Amino acid sequence: MSDGPPTWLKLVLKAERVLGSRVESAVHSDTYFDLVTQLRRSGTRLSSTAEGVSRRIIHLANLPAGTDIRRIREQLSRMERRLVEVSKELDELAAEREQELH
Amino acid sequence: MSPPDPSQLLARVNRDVERSLLRARNGIRYVRGTNRPRLGVTPKDVIWQRDKAQLWRYRSTAVDVSQPLLIVTSLISRSYILDLLPGSSSVEFLRDAGLDVFMVDWGIPDELDAANTFETYVDEYLPRAVAATLAASGADEVTLVGYCLGAVLAILYACGHEAPVRNLVMLAAPIDFGEMGPMVAALREGRLGPDELLDDTGNVPADLLYSGFFMMAPTSVVAQHATLLENLWNDEFVRGFQAVDQWTRDQVPFPGGAVQQVVDDLVRRNVLISGSWRLGGREIDFTNTGASILNVMATNDRVVPRAASEPASRLVGRPERREEMVVKGGHATFGTGRSAFTQTLPRLAEWTRSHSDAKETTSGGDSTARGR
Repeated sequence: MSDGPPTWLKLVLKAERVLGSRVESAVHSDTYFDLVTQLRRSGTRLSSTAEGVSRRIIHLANLPAGTDIRRIREQLSRMERRLVEVSKELDELAAEREQELH
Repeated sequence: MSPPDPSQLLARVNRDVERSLLRARNGIRYVRGTNRPRLGVTPKDVIWQRDKAQLWRYRSTAVDVSQPLLIVTSLISRSYILDLLPGSSSVEFLRDAGLDVFMVDWGIPDELDAANTFETYVDEYLPRAVAATLAASGADEVTLVGYCLGAVLAILYACGHEAPVRNLVMLAAPIDFGEMGPMVAALREGRLGPDELLDDTGNVPADLLYSGFFMMAPTSVVAQHATLLENLWNDEFVRGFQAVDQWTRDQVPFPGGAVQQVVDDLVRRNVLISGSWRLGGREIDFTNTGASILNVMATNDRVVPRAASEPASRLVGRPERREEMVVKGGHATFGTGRSAFTQTLPRLAEWTRSHSDAKETTSGGDSTARGR
C-alpha cells in the first residue's frame, strides 16, 4: 500500500505547474501591467464621470452626494489627525515638565 | 503477481470509507466556513500602546535568557502569521525555548493613519515600544527581530538611534528592490504611480495588496485546493490550511505616506542598497550599530526573493558581527510549515540564545502597565 500522493493529485499538480508557469509569465509581463494600469485608470475616470453626473442631479434636489460625504470624511480625518498630533505634543510637554519638576 | 491479502484489502477499504466520511464532514464544514480555527491565541498581555500600535508580551514562566526578543512585524500583513495555531506558533516555539517574547503589532490603518511615514514607525513608535519592552522585562538590551518590511523598520531603528539592541535579526528583509519582481518593476518604471494605488482613505487598500500577492502565482490556488481535497479527511491538515488561507487573504491597508516613500526612495531610487537612507532629517547609516547581525533568507521566497535580502548581509552592522542563515521554504516559512518548526525556528532560537546572556532568575518583570 503506497502512502504517497495519488495519481490524480500528481497529475493535477503537474498540470498546474505546466499551465501555471505560462499564466505567470503572462501576468508578470509589461503588457499585463500596462493593461491593468489602463483598466484601473479607465475605471477611475468612468466612476469619476458617473459621480459628477449623479452629484449634479442630487445637488439639484439640494441633497448631499457621496462625494460631499467623502470630502467631509477627509476633512474630519485631517482634523482628527491634527488633534492626535496636538494631544501627543501636549503629552510630551507634560512629560518634560514632570521631568523638570523631579 | 500474488493475489492481494484479504485482510489488507479489508483494512484499505475500511480506511478509504472512513476517510470518505471524514472528507464529507470536513468538506461541508469548510464550504460553510464553520469550524474556523482561532488564530493568534497564545496568551499575551498588552503592555504598551500608542494610536493603533500595540506591544504584546507573551506570558511565560520559563524565561532563561536575559535579553527579551522583540518582534517587529510587517506593515502590510497581519502579525498572527507568527502566532498561527496552538502547537504551530512561532512565538509559542520561541517562548518555550526560554525566550521572553514581545511583539509590536501595528494594527489596521484607516484614514487617521494615511499620513504615517517610516519616521512614524522608526522614530515615534519603535523607540517607545523598545523602552516599554525594557521596562517590562527589566533588561538593558533587546534582541530585535524584524520580519519582511518590519526588518527594514528594525534596521532603521537600530541604526538611527542610540538603540539598546544586542542582536538584530532580519527575516526576509527587502533591501534590493531591483529584485522584487514585476509589480515593483511597474512602479519603478513609472507605468504605475503611487497615487493610483491609494483609495479614499489615503491608504493602499488591503484587497489590492491581496491581488498583488495572488497574481504572483495565480494558479497555485488550484494545486492548494487539490491537495486540500486529498487531505480533507485530516483535521490537522484542514485546520492548518484554513489558518494559512485566512492569513493570506487577510492583508491590511498600507499607509499612503509610507507607500510614497517606498515608491520614491526604495523602489525608484533603490536607496537601501547604498547602505543608508535619509530619514527624519538625518542620514541613517546601516553600519551604525554594534549589534550582532543575523540575516535570514528563505530559499523559495517569492514575495521577497533571496536576491533582494542578500545585500543585508554586507550592509547592516559591523563586518565582524555579521552572520547569515538560509532556510528552506517560502516567505511564510518563519510562521508556518513543517520546516519552520523542525529547522528554521530551532536554528533561530539557538542563534539567539548563543548571542544572549543567561538569565539568573526564571521570572521576568511583570509589568502590564500601559503607556504612551
